[in-house]
Amino acid sequence: MESFDIDPEALGESYRKLQAQYHPDRVSGLDDTARLQALQTSSIINQAFDTLKSPLKRAAYMLSLKGLDPDKYQQSLMSEDLLIQQMHWREQLEEAAQDENLNALDNLKKTAQTELQDCLAEFKTQLNEEELDKAKALYHKLQFINKILQEINRAEEKILDY
Amino acid sequence: MALLQISEPGQSPRRSHSKKHALGIDLGTTNSLVASANSEGPFIIKVSEDEVLLPSVVDYRKDGQVLVGKEAQESPQSISSVKRLMGRGQQDVQHRLSYRLVPGEQEGMPMIETAAGRKSPVEVSADILKRLAQCGQAKLDADIDGVVITVPAYFDEAQRQATKDAARIAGLNVLRLLSEPTAAAVAYGLDKKLEGTVIIYDLGGGTFDVSLMKLEKGVFSVLATGGDTALGGDDFDHAIIHWLEKQSGQAFGQADMHVLKNLVRHAKHELSGQEQVELAYAGWHGTLDQDTYHQLIDDYIDETLKACRRVLRDAQVSIEEITDVVLVGGSTRSPRVQEKVADFFQREVLHELDPDQVVALGAAIQADSLVGNKYGKDLLLLDVNPLSLGIETMGGLIEKIIPRNTTIPVSRAQEFTTFKDGQTVMNLHVLQGERELVDDCRSLAFFELRNIPPMVAGAARIRVTFQVDADGLLSVEAEELSSGVKSSVVVKPSFGLQEREIEKMIRDSHTQARHDKEMRQLKENQVEALRIIEATESALVSDGELLSSEERKMLEAALQDLRKSLSSDDADLIHENSVKLNDLSTEFAARRMDTQIKSAFAGKKLEEIDR
Repeated sequence: MESFDIDPEALGESYRKLQAQYHPDRVSGLDDTARLQALQTSSIINQAFDTLKSPLKRAAYMLSLKGLDPDKYQQSLMSEDLLIQQMHWREQLEEAAQDENLNALDNLKKTAQTELQDCLAEFKTQLNEEELDKAKALYHKLQFINKILQEINRAEEKILDY
Repeated sequence: MALLQISEPGQSPRRSHSKKHALGIDLGTTNSLVASANSEGPFIIKVSEDEVLLPSVVDYRKDGQVLVGKEAQESPQSISSVKRLMGRGQQDVQHRLSYRLVPGEQEGMPMIETAAGRKSPVEVSADILKRLAQCGQAKLDADIDGVVITVPAYFDEAQRQATKDAARIAGLNVLRLLSEPTAAAVAYGLDKKLEGTVIIYDLGGGTFDVSLMKLEKGVFSVLATGGDTALGGDDFDHAIIHWLEKQSGQAFGQADMHVLKNLVRHAKHELSGQEQVELAYAGWHGTLDQDTYHQLIDDYIDETLKACRRVLRDAQVSIEEITDVVLVGGSTRSPRVQEKVADFFQREVLHELDPDQVVALGAAIQADSLVGNKYGKDLLLLDVNPLSLGIETMGGLIEKIIPRNTTIPVSRAQEFTTFKDGQTVMNLHVLQGERELVDDCRSLAFFELRNIPPMVAGAARIRVTFQVDADGLLSVEAEELSSGVKSSVVVKPSFGLQEREIEKMIRDSHTQARHDKEMRQLKENQVEALRIIEATESALVSDGELLSSEERKMLEAALQDLRKSLSSDDADLIHENSVKLNDLSTEFAARRMDTQIKSAFAGKKLEEIDR
């Protein structure tokens, strides 16, 4: 039975075990077919690990398991609250970026991260209760918060000249 | 009952159990090394009587001779620091070099002017690789089954491909391209039993890498990597040269660089032990003290620390979470570098293993494990791609398909669509880099997807798949999903060599090998001929009376022929005449032997001779 919760230790452990078995380096003495196969298998294992360890990608994957296309995005589904929040955060971000105010960026980041955690918990609940439409709406909210977080990062990097 | 599977001969999926021979090669900007491993562990292979470092310097002589390493260093026309040119265009090369560059074909790598004609940086690297492989072959006394060559972690697609091309020209089977810091981590991990979250800070002659790695139970995973492929100890040298110019009020040219670089290298060395150093050049002399030296190089060191900060940020790891900091690369011998890195990471840094050797040792361990030998058999290295890979979209923007620091091998796909109604061809432009605009990134390849069925704009679904293999090399495939039209390309970076150029170089390399062999044969035949001439002449002087005048005439004629052919470069003719003279003198030699025996026995009793 699938569950949204993962044990990161166990995930890492089985990832390493699988790579130890299927990584291309394990077949470097063999023929081209075996090597190509190893390349593909190892890529899939990496992809799986990458998907499972990120909560957002995991959420998308769980939705697709339920037969939903998480990327099919409908603007109309977006709640008014979310739209207002989005506008509000974006304003704050732009202002902080313009003033090169790292503190303000950091505060915004913390707010967004808290919101992300709350949203993830809610997503999990809805998914468990098979409230798929609600779960999907929450997934879109997650995506939006994640995007803001990425933009905050970029703004920080620009100021810090990374 | 399950059927037993029997594989065809020669197709057995099991590896052969006979010992295979593999080398680890550190192809450096300033120096290169070669190492191997046996059941006890890795070891460095000497490149001469008492040296382990092969200076990455090649001298091409007019007569076709190719000198590599120390013997090439003597020559003012020698080619050095060629790693900086690998996979690079002329405009990327910012350093003053002691040799001349000319533009390459089709915006490719610049070519180097040498006494033996124009050489590509790839060919020069191939000559260095060849020499290293020869040393390995001689030491192991066996043919080499494969090599692992290290590259800076931050090497891009073009630079990696150029390195692989060089190995091909050198006739080597590349098992893997391995990131230098990863190689160092392997050597440290196995030797010092390191576990945990480790920073590998690798400052070489011309490149800087930093990798954040997780070491657990024989699995070495790179979490993030960063660096600069044009930053290294060479920059310290140039900073001092620039300072010298300012102090002396002179401008130095290309011809000065050779001597200046040696002078500066010496100064750097002295300054790691003492407060100041006296310098003299072209009539000027003065003192460089440590404070001034630090001012000159601190900017470069700070640049490396910035990359360290970025790596920590990318991996979301804080300084407190790091278990160890390992220093690698010759330039980390500088006490200033050690001090600043220790300050930054707030801990003691590790540099117990020789910073010049540790990369080659790690490569040897990996090579040995890849050919199926026992040492390091449980080793698994999981590397990342250092730079984001993407596709150009409308307005000169980039859509990233594989972000930087993604574990490789990796395969990612993304869908695109057509822009115009009835569009049947789509041009795809593959790029590498972190910036948002196409112009700021490195262009890797262009390719076309043709025969898309005409549809309204936005209706076609074109899936572009990027596959990066364990060497960090990319191939790209595009497919129109509704019709199944496919087009694929293994990306050949725009700055790389064309296939036909590589083939020509492989041919030239064979010609060169043949030429080398011929030269050796000629030398050997000449030596042999001289020996015969000398022996015959001295025999004629001491025992000439044993020959009839007819015999003597023939022998002298043959002697004359051989002498004449000596001054020619015809190895076969020399050999032929040597054989002729040798045959003619056989009878003469026999007679001389008889005479000598007779005279030796004369007046002696048999039992005396017996004793």
